[in-house]
Formats: sequence, structure tokens, C-alpha cells
Amino acid sequence: MSDKTRQALITVGVLLFLALPGMGLGSYWLDVLNQVGLYAVLSLSLNIILGHAGMFHMGHAAFFAVGAYVTAILNTVYHVPVMATLPLAGLAAGVFALLVASPIIHLRGDYLLVVTIGIVEIVRIALINNVFGLTGGSNGIVGIQRPDLPGLGRLTAPWHFFYLIWGFVAISMFMFEYLENSRYGRALKFIREDVVAAEGVGINTASCKLSAFVIGAIWAGFTGTIYATQMRTISPGSFSYWESVVLFMIVILGGRGNQWGVLLGSFLVIGLPELFRGLQSSRMLFFGAALVVMMIFRPQGLIPSRNRRYKLPQPYADKYK
Amino acid sequence: MILLSISNLTKSFGGLVAVGGVSFEVAEGDILGLIGPNGAGKTTVFNLVTGVTRPDSGEIFFAQHRLNQLKPHKVVELGLSRTYQTIRLFPHMSIIDNVLSGRHCRMQTGIIDSMLSFPGKAFDEKNAMTRAMEELEFVGLADRWRDDAGGLSYGEQRLLEIARALATDPRMVVLDEPAGGMNDQETVELRNLIERIRMRRVTIMLIEHDMSFVMRVCNQLVVLENGIVIARGKPEDIQKDPKVIEAYLGVDD
Repeated sequence: MSDKTRQALITVGVLLFLALPGMGLGSYWLDVLNQVGLYAVLSLSLNIILGHAGMFHMGHAAFFAVGAYVTAILNTVYHVPVMATLPLAGLAAGVFALLVASPIIHLRGDYLLVVTIGIVEIVRIALINNVFGLTGGSNGIVGIQRPDLPGLGRLTAPWHFFYLIWGFVAISMFMFEYLENSRYGRALKFIREDVVAAEGVGINTASCKLSAFVIGAIWAGFTGTIYATQMRTISPGSFSYWESVVLFMIVILGGRGNQWGVLLGSFLVIGLPELFRGLQSSRMLFFGAALVVMMIFRPQGLIPSRNRRYKLPQPYADKYK
Repeated sequence: MILLSISNLTKSFGGLVAVGGVSFEVAEGDILGLIGPNGAGKTTVFNLVTGVTRPDSGEIFFAQHRLNQLKPHKVVELGLSRTYQTIRLFPHMSIIDNVLSGRHCRMQTGIIDSMLSFPGKAFDEKNAMTRAMEELEFVGLADRWRDDAGGLSYGEQRLLEIARALATDPRMVVLDEPAGGMNDQETVELRNLIERIRMRRVTIMLIEHDMSFVMRVCNQLVVLENGIVIARGKPEDIQKDPKVIEAYLGVDD
């Protein structure tokens, strides 16, 4: 498939997808798609940490929780408009990531995995225990407002959120793509391949790894805001260790380091089980079996990451075709 | 002018003294060979100089900077880059990506600049790519820029490591067994390459077991045995030094 046909297909696909709310899709399915979108952004942000930099981070729900709770508390207690809390939610999640990741950033693979599981559990339990009397304990926080967008008014219907969420997915994908195709994105891949060689060739690996964590966390924080305002109620149960496992799974299954793979992974892991609701509980069995088969026969993921393709500057472009 | 100066450097691993008080200097423009039997501590000296391991005591100065507590990436930023005895490329990435890794520390684009794709980023990338291709032409791998580094022969991988080290704008490169795994033809080309690196005003320090190679390429030699310097000087003098002959060949009782 040439690049042009590929691009055309993607454009048509995206346009069709954006037309879905107008084609009589019921609000149930729109809600499913919205959920897929939220998981997609979370997984795409985890992809920077896990996919590009190769750090086994299984606590991403912790940063998501920080963002959601910052929005919920600011909105319900201090009456800050929801959309105005978005940058603060991202900032809070980023600062939190900086604090918890700094001491553990040098840990390798499995060790890091265990610590990040610990972090997400600590956050969940802290929320249940109503830290600072602000998080509402195990009941969580209710009555978060719907968002007001300047010029568009209040978003209420599922299709409003469809465009909000998927618009956010699109912006994130563009920004992450730019990031991937930069000096910094390349550095993350060197770190994933061989951290000693990366350090030895002049890359500040500790700071690169830490900033990958912070960027991923900021995005998870943003997503927390959108989640909180869409659900209007949040509770610690939504930010469990299991949610982190699901995100981890989406990235590994879809293809670490490949945004389209991660997007596909979100549809499969979050969307597909909804299609088979009729099968009741056995659908999860099939799902689990499919995962096992996948990991045996295609461990690199459905759409694996590819080497970056370069366009050489002149005179080299003509010299080395 | 002295570019690198090492004094009383020591390093032990557990009870084993790998480097026991080593001192020597490398002058700008030198091609200095660090030789000695297996286990003499040569690679440990390289690792200490490049920040991979921290010395127990002693001083390392490079161009007026104290290197002792610096991390490897800082050492590279100061203009000292290296290759490895066991090749450490990024085998699953393209050859040009491998060389671009060396450009990282000389590029400017920050994280936010790149996420918003500011125009400076494209300029920065283009310059880096041009420079990477220059280095690939310098070592003779330019026509294979797209291929995975892992697909190169052993000798070619060594050349790619050198290109990557040169891409960091070094004042000095340290090469750990550059001729290791090369055939005769490649070794001759390597000699030629090292001479061309020197002509770029880059100082060179290397470890090599191939004695005829060392004798022809280097203008200064430092001989290590059991973690201490047993001789230093010009190749022709070192060849005649009884202590060196003893270290290499043993001595009759």
C-alpha cells in the first residue's frame, strides 16, 4: 500500500468515525465509544512511558485519579468551572509523578513494575481513607458539573462528549507523534534499546525517563478532568490496580510504541467485550484466551512499532536513494 | 598541551584491585595505546575515565574539568566519547538512527518545542541528519543508512560505533579494541581511519591486543599489568623494555 492510499484510507476512516453520532448511533454505543476514547488517551500517554521508553509502569491509574480528584474537588468545593480545572489537573498529576517517580526512576523492568503497583494502591487507599477530608472516602465525590465550552454552551448529551473526547484523542495523537519524531522521542527509544549505551553516547537518561513519566502523567491528569465531568461522580473504585493493568494490556496488545496499535488495542480491549454482552460472563474467558494466544504468536503487538523513516536532506537524498 | 590527566587512580571490586594507582597523561593530538595482558585493568581505566564506574580515589581531569563524579552523558558533553569492547549499538534501529544518537547532546529542541512542532525543530533535525550522513561517509557506511545496525558485519558495527562517537563533536575518543573481530583488510582500513580521525584534531586513546597494529598506529603507549603502569613511552622504546617483555612472555627462572 502506497503512502497516498494509506493516507486516503485513514482520512476516510476518521471522517466516517466523526459522522457516527449523526448516523443514528444510539446513546449506549456512543457511551461505549466515549469510554474507548478515554482509555485510548490514557493508553496513548502510557505508551510514552511503557512503549517508547520501555519502562514497566503498571500504576498509570494513580495519575488519572489525581487529575479526576483535583477537578472534582476544585469544582464541587471551590466552584471552579470544570474546564478551568483541566490545566490544574494536569499540573497536579505531573507534579505528583515527579515526586513519586524521582526516587524510583533508576529501577529496572520488574522492580519498577512492583513499585508502580504499590503507588496505585497507595493512591486508591488514600482516597478511600478520605485524605485531608477532601476525597469523600469510599463514596467518592458526587455532583461534579458538566463542562461549559466557550461559545458552545454546556455539554450534556453523549454526542457532545463524543466530540470532546475524540477531539482530545486527536490532539494528543498529533502532539505525541511530533514528540516521537523529535530528538527527545528518539532518545526514549535509545533508552528502551540499551540504557547504558544511551547514557554513554551523551543522553541524560535519568532526566529523559523522568520527563516521560511526567508527560504521561500530565495527560492522564487531563483525562481525569474529562472523565470526572462526564461521569459527574467519581469514587476510588474507578482508579484501581485493575484499571492500570487494563491500560498496560492495551499498550502491549496493540503494539508498544505505535500509536495506531494502541488505538486499535483500546477498541479491542474496551469496545469488543461490549459487542459480546449477550454471552454474559463467558466473554471474559474468550477475551483472556485471545490475549494468551496473542502473546504467544505475536508478542510485539498487533501493530508493532516501526523504525522511523527519514527524508535525507540534500545532497544526500540524491546520492543515497 | 595535556588534554587528559589521570593521577593515582584506584578502583577495587570486592577484594580485587582492578586499578591500583594509575597515573598518565594524554596530550592533545596523541594516539595513545593502552596495552597489557588480559585482566590488567585496561577496560576499567576506560570505564573510570568515561564515568561508567566511579573511582575509589585519584583524580581525572579532562580539559580542565574534573571528571570524577560526572555521569557518562556529562563526560560526553565535555567532549570525550567512546566505543565499547563488546559492541553496544542499538541493533534494532537504523544505522542513521544510531549515528543520530550521538548528535542528541548537541541538539537544541526541547520537549515542548517538539510537541508543538515549532519550526526550529525541523532545522535542528535537518542539521543533525546532514552531520550524521557526513560521519557515515567518513567511515564508509553511508549507502546503507536505512538498514538495521544489527545487520552489519562485526567489523562494520565497530565502524558504526566510531561514527556514533564522532557525531558527538568529541575532542577525544577512547576506542576499546577497535580492531576486535576485524579481518586483515578491515584492520588496514581501520588504521587508515584512525589516522584520518587524528587529522580532524581529535585525540585518540585506544586499547588493542593486536601488537603490530598498536606499534604502527600509536605514538605513545602505556603498559598496564595487574592494575599498575609498568611502562610508558614511545612504541619503539616499549618494545625493548624488559619489564614489558616479562609481562607479556613471562621470564625463565
